[in-house]
Amino acid sequence: MHADQTTARPDAPNVTDDALYLDGIPHDRFAEMRAAPGLLWHPYRDGGFWAVARHAEVRQVSRSPEVFSSAIGHTNLWDLEADALEARRGLIDTDAPDHTRIRRLVASGFTPKNIKTWGTTVRELTAELLDEAVAVGTSDWVDSLAAPLPIRVILALLGVPVDDADHLVALSNHLVEGTSEQQTLAPDAFGNTTELRLLPFNSPASHALFEYGEALAARKRLEPADDIVTTLVQAEADGERLSGAEFRNLFHLLVFAGNETTRTALTHGAMALADHPEQWQRVLDGEVSVEQATEEILRWATPVLHMRRTTAVDTELAGTRIGAGEKVVVWYASANRDETVFEDPYRFDVGRDDNPHFAFGGGGPHFCLGAFLARLEIQVVLEEMRARGLRLRRVGDPVRVPSNFVHGVLSLDLEVVS
Amino acid sequence: MSADDVAVRVDTEVCIAGGQCELLAPDIFEIDDDEVVAVVRGDGRLPRNVALEVIDRCPSGAISIVGGSDHIPASGP
Ligand code: HEM
Ligand code: SF4
Repeated sequence: MHADQTTARPDAPNVTDDALYLDGIPHDRFAEMRAAPGLLWHPYRDGGFWAVARHAEVRQVSRSPEVFSSAIGHTNLWDLEADALEARRGLIDTDAPDHTRIRRLVASGFTPKNIKTWGTTVRELTAELLDEAVAVGTSDWVDSLAAPLPIRVILALLGVPVDDADHLVALSNHLVEGTSEQQTLAPDAFGNTTELRLLPFNSPASHALFEYGEALAARKRLEPADDIVTTLVQAEADGERLSGAEFRNLFHLLVFAGNETTRTALTHGAMALADHPEQWQRVLDGEVSVEQATEEILRWATPVLHMRRTTAVDTELAGTRIGAGEKVVVWYASANRDETVFEDPYRFDVGRDDNPHFAFGGGGPHFCLGAFLARLEIQVVLEEMRARGLRLRRVGDPVRVPSNFVHGVLSLDLEVVS
Repeated sequence: MSADDVAVRVDTEVCIAGGQCELLAPDIFEIDDDEVVAVVRGDGRLPRNVALEVIDRCPSGAISIVGGSDHIPASGP
């Protein structure tokens, strides 16, 4: 138990107060956590968690799923009632063997080889949005590029008809609202009759997304096409198909997971390139490749700040004993500034050639499914900007999402100079 | 082939078919479209340093050196 240990050791500095994040990630507090020997206990609501701040231990926890479970409890800081946890359970909060089965069913659509075939679609969408931003001159980068690109791309990959895209974009925006407790929907919106606490993000938009996903699956069974929903309805691994609930949750996850994250990376990336024009110049000059710059943007942005695991057994980490059933939280935000791994970690340096960042997680079975897709999107944006010789100029300050979980930006005014 | 080549294998029970290996060493690894796991091509031999790099980048820990110690110490960065 942690109780006897906390007497011998100070608690972690508070990093869960959402308001802290209005000014950006509280890096000084994470640096303090990394410097402390062992692990620090972080009080949270009625209990607390072990805060994992160093790169090496984030890696170790991520890659030891038999000890640090995703299925016991939940992968967010707070707990859910048992029925809500079951109703919402999807890829993210399962362990092997269920996780391996579902993950493989969907993985076939997301291998680097398959993602490359979507390059043209990504490029066309990017070109269209960029040209518009250039024509307008100064605009909110989130609205003009960072938000529309990822949602349009994932809808195209899933096989959502163009005519339905606006409806799904609206649903996805409602989900984002749900994360910041600014719900604008009535509980029975979209004909929802499910108790909100049983729905992802407590949002009736989740119900609408489920319904849409099921209708789309039915359509793809009749008219198979070259898209991911068709792959999912046809996929069979180990002789098993996805159950109805598994498909629904997966469709929902795919619509959501790649949106706010990629948006965040594109926004922090643009802000960093505007603030460090000499770094963008290195890309324009061809001194640094677009691939390399993309990895630094991912490290710099760290769109997902942490994930939680729960110990399945008694264990020890960094010399600290942890009892079974305790919460362990891995902070990617901290690992990505670990001074023992990254030289001069607070410097935005597009030319880093060894950049083992954990923006997509610390490895292990839950490593981001969409990593190659997200990379492709960022790379194509940089390539298209480079091809047009564009530069970005800061016009105002970002409006940040007050959240200890996502490093989100609501708006960022930028001038796109050609 | 050189003396410092090693053979690798993929534990198909563990592989999550993300394709990092295929990206790094396309001559050796391939995602099998039917089984949806990584498979090793030919004799699976590649230079030790490349093998270690791929093992390090494989998120699921599915790749190991044939005849090597099963436990590859986490190398930190
Ligand atoms: C820059 C953009 C993105 C970032 C930073 C990001 C980050 C992450 C992180 C940190 C995890 C958890 C890893 C772990 O628990 O070890 C994750 C999981 C996941 N991501 Fe992403 N992601 C991004 C884009 C995407 C995209 C485009 C998709 C597209 C579908 C996607 C789908 C998923 C899914 C399905 C999971 C759950 C995987 C599992 O539990 O097996 N992500 N992502
Ligand atoms: S990198 Fe590892 S998990 Fe990914 S496909 Fe290759 S063997 Fe499987």
